[in-house]
Amino acid sequence: MSEVVLENVTKKFGKLTVLDGVNLKINAREFFVLLGPSGSGKTTLLRLIAGLEEITSGSIYIGGKKVNDLPPKERNIAMVFQNYALYPHMTVYDNIALPLKIKNYGEEKIKEKIKTIAETLHIEDILQKKPSQISGGQQQRVALARALVRDPAVFLLDEPLSNLDAKLRVEARAFLKSLQKEVGITTVFVTHDQSEAMALATTIAVLNKGVIKQVGDPYELYTKPMDIFTAGFIGSPAMNMIPGKLIKEGSSWKFLSDDFSLDLSGMKFDNETETILGIRPEHIVIANDQGLNAKIKNVEPMGAVTYLEIKVGNTELTAQYTGLVKLEAGMDVKIRFVEDKMLFYDKKTEKLINY
Amino acid sequence: MNRTLKVGLVFVLPILVYFLIFFIYPIISLFQNAFTNNAGTFTLANFQFMLRDRVLQISLTNTAYYYIGSLLIEYSLGFIVAVILYNYTGKLTTVFRTIIILPLMVSPVVIGLMWLLLFNQTYGPIDYFLKLLGLPAINWLGNPGWAMPALIIANGWEYSPFVFLIIYAGLQMVPPQLYEAASIDGLNRFQTFRYITLPSIRGPMIIAFLLNSIGILKGFDLVYVLTNGGPGYATYILSFYEYVVGFTYFQTHYAAALAILYLVIVGVFVFAMLKLTGAEKYLGVERIKE
Amino acid sequence: MKIKLTTVVVLILLVLASLVYIFPIYWTLVTALKTSLEIFTYPPIFFPTKIDLGNFYQPGNVFGAVSQTAIGSVPWMINSTIVAIFATLISTFLIAAPASYALVRYIKSVWLARLILFMTMIPEAVFMVPFFLIVIKLNILNTWWALIITYISFTAPFATWLLMGFFNDIPKSVEEAAQIDGLSPYQIFYRISLPLIMPGVVAAIILNFISCWNELLYALILTYSPFPSGAQTVPVFLTSFIIVEKSFAWGGLAAAGVFTMLPTIILGIIAQKYLARGLTLGAVKG
Repeated sequence: MSEVVLENVTKKFGKLTVLDGVNLKINAREFFVLLGPSGSGKTTLLRLIAGLEEITSGSIYIGGKKVNDLPPKERNIAMVFQNYALYPHMTVYDNIALPLKIKNYGEEKIKEKIKTIAETLHIEDILQKKPSQISGGQQQRVALARALVRDPAVFLLDEPLSNLDAKLRVEARAFLKSLQKEVGITTVFVTHDQSEAMALATTIAVLNKGVIKQVGDPYELYTKPMDIFTAGFIGSPAMNMIPGKLIKEGSSWKFLSDDFSLDLSGMKFDNETETILGIRPEHIVIANDQGLNAKIKNVEPMGAVTYLEIKVGNTELTAQYTGLVKLEAGMDVKIRFVEDKMLFYDKKTEKLINY
Repeated sequence: MNRTLKVGLVFVLPILVYFLIFFIYPIISLFQNAFTNNAGTFTLANFQFMLRDRVLQISLTNTAYYYIGSLLIEYSLGFIVAVILYNYTGKLTTVFRTIIILPLMVSPVVIGLMWLLLFNQTYGPIDYFLKLLGLPAINWLGNPGWAMPALIIANGWEYSPFVFLIIYAGLQMVPPQLYEAASIDGLNRFQTFRYITLPSIRGPMIIAFLLNSIGILKGFDLVYVLTNGGPGYATYILSFYEYVVGFTYFQTHYAAALAILYLVIVGVFVFAMLKLTGAEKYLGVERIKE
Repeated sequence: MKIKLTTVVVLILLVLASLVYIFPIYWTLVTALKTSLEIFTYPPIFFPTKIDLGNFYQPGNVFGAVSQTAIGSVPWMINSTIVAIFATLISTFLIAAPASYALVRYIKSVWLARLILFMTMIPEAVFMVPFFLIVIKLNILNTWWALIITYISFTAPFATWLLMGFFNDIPKSVEEAAQIDGLSPYQIFYRISLPLIMPGVVAAIILNFISCWNELLYALILTYSPFPSGAQTVPVFLTSFIIVEKSFAWGGLAAAGVFTMLPTIILGIIAQKYLARGLTLGAVKG
């Protein structure tokens, strides 16, 4: 009904390839997030779905229908821009009414629909104001109202929360999530903020340099990132990445880095390769009994947890500590990596080896 | 891409149609007329005559005289007044600005009238002031030597506010932090003007120069009213001469030739001016590419 | 330029400049209000003792010649007003605004923009012969249409160039939102973009109106009688007045001058902020 399928979508601006052979399936009613750094092509992808840019090659289907050549107004989509793009010279009411007027809805019907949507979004009392007279948070809700009042099949959002201050952003995030659940509309959301993606999405697609790196639900992406980019992008503080080599000694495997070696007797690998070991800060255990020798360089107490910058030889790592002992810079500790949380990535292919 | 072009074409159609009928066709007509005589046969006589035409030569020199004189007065006066108002810190800024740009709102015909009254030798205030200063009265409009200066003064009065407006607006767009930084760096007022202000208003200065020049070259009304080309041929400028040829002597063909000459002169001038000063980017042409 | 001139010196200079710019207007106004006796005296009187409004409505009797009056200019004023309004509205809304919008949003051709710019720089006199011939051929000599269509030749390019800057300033996302809301490009232009640049449109209209009102050359050539029989405008009336009455009816002459410049001055003052912005925006912002 309102699923979106992208088949081998490529977009070039002149010689520059911004999106390269993207394949995606967005299910109906999903909150689908396109996550990536700036320049990754996520906004371009969104605009291709909207019809604001023309596709270079490939196909896009909305609700089963191929929409490559259809202009935005025939795709039954709605969009909220980063700066909301409200019509400055019209009142809030007229802003929301315009798409309905264009569709030739009668006065009465328009009034009805606006009343409903205004209630849902709590903007009943600003209907007669102009955009310049309302706050940022209110503007955003007006933009949402204008988009939703048309009952579109797909709802597109381009970083709509980045213009809000931190507190408002958290509120708006929660509001948006419950709104989407309530209305049940297929939503495609673009952001560069991975915590936002994690909080809101049912499915996340991670993009970098015009290529989809991984698609999955937040939990999947967090616990099993399939490539180095995703591993490093998701999670804050970022995953520790240690370059080294996997070698086989007899029948057991070992990980050899410049500064230490790890016994991996419980694990099985296929080949000896150059790898990168990924380990999240919370999976580095600080103990005093056995492990690698490390020195604490910096302590960042965050209240519930403490982040430690530690050094093993010349290797710098970030570790998360929730213990009760007060640790200080300069102290020597022993650290261990939680065995089944270690992720090994092939240095050349950048893909996950052990799973 | 195609739907974009189609829509664009619809929007641009009215002006293109107008352009075709009232720009292209007239130019063709001009060439047709310039190269024919009354019998309709092809001839170069009009252009040959141009080379011998004494009145044309006078008109061209007069036009140059008019241009240089007017430009000097308008540009310097306008510039100086802009700087002065810029330095004013009182509350009457809008009042002064309104007064200064009054001449721009008055029709050149009325301005001609005004200066007729002012320049009158017997009853006019200007000669009165001259006499007060111990100088002899000048027969502005009767003396061929003084007619053009009179014209230039009147024109200067009319268009210096135009330069003023542009320069003044430019001055207002200079960020005040630049001046603050300059004062911290120890620049005195002249250095500030030379190294900070002037470079910052380079764009407006160029635009003012360009638009002012073009405005002067377009002139007709003032000449027609104030001096009507006289006394004798003293204030004949090219546009006026063309008018006389075409509508007093009804020599349509020669007038067409003159029109072409006029167009070429203005075209070359504008082109040279744009290239030399790089004024295009200040006129908003490049912004289109965005 | 933060020259530390004392405020007083600046003020004096400003007053001087103001005097320079206002004196000719003042002198004309004063002449219009003087009696003939006080006009033709030496030394000239700067502050008249008697005010005589007769110059405005009574045909004067000066040295035995009957002169025109300011009120007499009404038939010409009607023509000027009609021609200016129509020429301005047609060229601004029907020709310039769409063309300007297309230039900025659709046909982003620098050459077309250059062409428009060039058209604003062509002197009227270049086209006087061909326009005359066209008007004769269309048989509209001495009618409003003759002036309206020729005036478009300078009002349209100017308005197009002026509005370019304003259209460029509209955020693209607002127009894209309208696109998504289902508006056609023409609807977007008419309901969103054009309303958003109203200040620019007003500036263009006022400036164009003033230049049409003051236009002399084409009116001179293309018209020969006033309303109701012909389309002759005020500037032509004034010039004939001047040439005929140059030596005599200065009072009436001055009164006619005052009468003529009043509308444009009032318009100019009311729209002062639009005027200043309009004249310099495209020029300075670049």
